[in-house]
Amino acid sequence: MIDLTKLIEQANELAPLPASTVRIAGLIGNPNCQLDEVTELIGFDQALTLKLLRAANSAASASSMRIGNVREAVIRMGTAQVMALVVAAGARPFLQTSVPEYGLKEGLLWRHSVAAAVAAETMQAFCKVVTPPETFTAALLHDVGKLVMGRFLSPEILDLIRRAQEVDHLGQLEAETLLLNVHHGELGGLIAQHWQLPPRVVQGIIYHHDPEQGQDVVCDLTYLANRLAKRIEAGLDGRAYDLTISDGVAERLALTPKILNDLCPVAASRYVQVRRRYNAV
Amino acid sequence: MNTADFDYVRGYVRDQAAIVLEPGKEYLVESRLQTLARKENLGSIDILISKLRSDSNNGLHRKVVDAMTTNETSFFRDIHPFEALRKFILPELVARHAQERQLNFWCGAASTGQEPYSVMMLIAEHFPELLGWNIKFTATELCGEVLARARRGRFNQLEVNRGLPASLLVKYFVQQGVEWEIREDLRRRVDFRELNLVRDWSLNPPLDIIFLRNVLIYFDVETKKIILAKIRRLLRPGGYLLLGGAETTFNIDDAFERTVVDKTTFYRLKQS
Repeated sequence: MIDLTKLIEQANELAPLPASTVRIAGLIGNPNCQLDEVTELIGFDQALTLKLLRAANSAASASSMRIGNVREAVIRMGTAQVMALVVAAGARPFLQTSVPEYGLKEGLLWRHSVAAAVAAETMQAFCKVVTPPETFTAALLHDVGKLVMGRFLSPEILDLIRRAQEVDHLGQLEAETLLLNVHHGELGGLIAQHWQLPPRVVQGIIYHHDPEQGQDVVCDLTYLANRLAKRIEAGLDGRAYDLTISDGVAERLALTPKILNDLCPVAASRYVQVRRRYNAV
Repeated sequence: MNTADFDYVRGYVRDQAAIVLEPGKEYLVESRLQTLARKENLGSIDILISKLRSDSNNGLHRKVVDAMTTNETSFFRDIHPFEALRKFILPELVARHAQERQLNFWCGAASTGQEPYSVMMLIAEHFPELLGWNIKFTATELCGEVLARARRGRFNQLEVNRGLPASLLVKYFVQQGVEWEIREDLRRRVDFRELNLVRDWSLNPPLDIIFLRNVLIYFDVETKKIILAKIRRLLRPGGYLLLGGAETTFNIDDAFERTVVDKTTFYRLKQS
């Protein structure tokens, strides 16, 4: 139905992320990451330094101590949050565009991305697994594939996808796979590779709908972050959203229905805070 | 697509490949035939079907059957069967056949080759001694175009991202422009052949492992019975049949018994 070669070409033709973003993300994704290297790299980028200090002081607003340098900011926020912040700064222009083929008006993809990243951050306190630093970035970028996929979804193809969903009760991802032999998660993984992001970020994005295949906790956590983000957004719009998660993910993350119920309002409240604070999402 | 055209296509596909397309699957036929019509510069599905009806020797019929086959596949698909192979089944077969040093595998409906190549990588990685054995690995596929791709062993970035760990990608593939090609020494160990599961099979027994995953789901019960009966004659006693997660021999052919290995269900011939 669509030319996969052209699709891959277009994913690889997206403008690259800033070089400093790629280097910082790569550094933090490395298990032997040194704090000094991260702070040095951020220090070279004035705009990024300002963003980081603003975010760190915002995160530390309950405390009277003002954070005045990059090193303290990185320690305060943690490398995982720093990676997400850096990638968010680089990817925001892309994620703010509209993708009408997925029913996303301008700004909505960005909102959903931020909601997922906030959910991933909140989940840390509720899941009995260590959250790898790549999780927040994978959560933030999980739907980035829709940007390029949308360009290939003609009204004719959208109609076939809708019919496949109706007739065979398929999800969006299954219908895309059946009819197009590719889904937006896979395309997102390709974009993340093109942006030279760490492999676990790529995996988290590819398998955000199908974590069983991903075989990595980042995939489980990105899957959950996406589901939670949908729940948060539905709640804010007064819509219902069933947060049932796969048995495998629930087992691997040791999540019970009670934990999920407790997690939802905390994540929603944190997301509302972020929206208010930055007045940007 | 009107009902008459849909019935014509589904009837033909059923006759030729036993693929069952229930009413409601018009969307699937339309999606596949639109692509074919475009490839053949025919403008529309209506024109394609009118050419199908008017001339049985224009080669289009075969292309329609090919277009209607589903070629969804990935490296190390569902991972657990490969874990079971690595941890239990291959060690058992290696021990059992250590004398004659020969093993025979068949992968039916091999699509673009990811499954047989996954098995070959698993062998190279964990049972390198088998590379010195007489391993006959036949992989078959109905669709000629797909088979040609499998033989080439070249995959795009999307395909290598599906289930293939980066460590195996760099070890067993060579980058060729924007594609990745499986290493020649692994590629030539798989004998790819064209085979229609509902026609005659040119396969030689005895087979130690048969991979026939996510294929039976497309067939009706009678066709499944015929295929399983053929497998019964090919599978070595003590050998293993691997079906897809949603497939079974239960209530279709009671010559097989289910055996769970690690997290995967395999089927073996009942001992007579």
